[in-house]
Amino acid sequence: MNAVVEQKIRARPLLGTFVEIAASGTSGSVHAAISQAFDAVAEVHALMSYQDPASELSRINQFGIDGPVAVHSHTWEVLRAARELAEASAGLFDITIAPTLTRLGFLPPHANFPRASRHGDWRHVALLPGQRVQFLRRVRIDLSGIAKGYAVDLAIRVLQAAGMQSGRVNAGGDLRVFGTTAQTIHVRAPHAPTQVLPLLNLTDGAAATSAAYFAQRRHAQRMVTPLIHPHTRSASSAERSITVLAPHCMHADALTKVVQADPAQAAKILARYQARAVIVEHDPVSGGFRVFDSAHTSGCPLSGSLPLAGERDNVSLRMFKDALSPSSLPQAGERDKVSLREKRFIAA
Amino acid sequence: MHKFEPWFCVPALILPAMVSAPAFAVQYLNLEQAQKALFPSADQFVSAAVTLSPEQRRAIETASGVKVRVNEVKAWRAKQGAKFEGWFVLDEVIGKHELITYAVAIAPDGSVEGVEILDYREGHGGGVRNSKWRAQFNGKKAGSPLQLDDDIKNLSGATLSCRHLTEGVRRVLATQAVALK
Repeated sequence: MNAVVEQKIRARPLLGTFVEIAASGTSGSVHAAISQAFDAVAEVHALMSYQDPASELSRINQFGIDGPVAVHSHTWEVLRAARELAEASAGLFDITIAPTLTRLGFLPPHANFPRASRHGDWRHVALLPGQRVQFLRRVRIDLSGIAKGYAVDLAIRVLQAAGMQSGRVNAGGDLRVFGTTAQTIHVRAPHAPTQVLPLLNLTDGAAATSAAYFAQRRHAQRMVTPLIHPHTRSASSAERSITVLAPHCMHADALTKVVQADPAQAAKILARYQARAVIVEHDPVSGGFRVFDSAHTSGCPLSGSLPLAGERDNVSLRMFKDALSPSSLPQAGERDKVSLREKRFIAA
Repeated sequence: MHKFEPWFCVPALILPAMVSAPAFAVQYLNLEQAQKALFPSADQFVSAAVTLSPEQRRAIETASGVKVRVNEVKAWRAKQGAKFEGWFVLDEVIGKHELITYAVAIAPDGSVEGVEILDYREGHGGGVRNSKWRAQFNGKKAGSPLQLDDDIKNLSGATLSCRHLTEGVRRVLATQAVALK
């Protein structure tokens, strides 16, 4: 007898955002699998929250300068990956920008953390044998640019181990899917974040999007974002969104920061992680969007080594082509599915 | 001349403006499913709804630092047989972009056991605060299914802060301490 398949979807506030987990599997087993996946995300949250003074990360930030601090294997995995990414990107990815984020008001100050040095960076976070961490200078680390992706990967592993046929974990824009059918990934329009664009189809793999539309705040009379360039330590402005596709969500999450900091340098690093970047920029003149795809530029000598549409990770750009063909344009009566055009377009 | 051309200099594609879809709404769980998810072993949920007095309101606002906008508290006692397992409180928060119905499970000792989101709705800009916009969801509270837009479920780049929800949970905890006995 065939088992009945059911699909469930749930959401909880974790990792400072909304984490959504969906799975389908044998009837009766899905809710329990989703609960286990949430527990895995909650564990990562408890270990790596910068905000929580009781987290393992806060313990490292408080005592890392005094001597080696032994850490949980999850934290170790993330620190190791962060180190590798920092090396690969020559510091474009750097977990020691926390003091800058605190100064701009994105991270809370912690009275019990040692004062941060201005001359420390990722090179001063030493990873020692026995899963121990020590600071060589007075740095402060923040894993929010990579831990969310790690939590997503972990939750996906839990769903797979529980026998789910397909699943999806979305932690505020860092998402990963698995299964046999393609799922359409949408991104927010960078200039109007309450509108969304269908960007691509994903069957098995991760997509992380970095954009500042909901994260801007005023600091010293100007709008700043939490996207900090590690070399200049200055905050970038919010004008485009960057989506990175990769087999692992942890890499996709971290690589969005590398692309944000330096798109030209990023091409080599993306290839190393079998990743691909798509930048969406609003064009105020046409009202449309310019899409830059690291795998689709002719003349770029590096594009050959990047996954092409539909080949690796089953990522395809079919949506792009559909979006461009006249037959896909919305008809009257489909209005509840597709938003009304912007006013100036109706006028024009 | 250098043949090298960075990949982000020439767009691979130009998307027309009209492919953007509107904001979205998802129902994750109905009331019964949320009760089951938060208290899997409970077999009975007894309504313990209360209306807050002005004094209780003030006490909650002082304890939580969050404004109380609604006097009605939708609460249930979760029980397994005669054993009291904890409180199930249904609440709603309204942010600049979002309207969220959620439930908090509170253990008998007053600690948070879990939080589940029932409904998540996003509007255009400040639309959520607009009463007309909200009216379209009237009668679609937990328990009756809200139309789920299947086309928009995988939203990347949705780093909407859950600050309002975190404040809501703090307010619900204070409410339990002040008003639920």
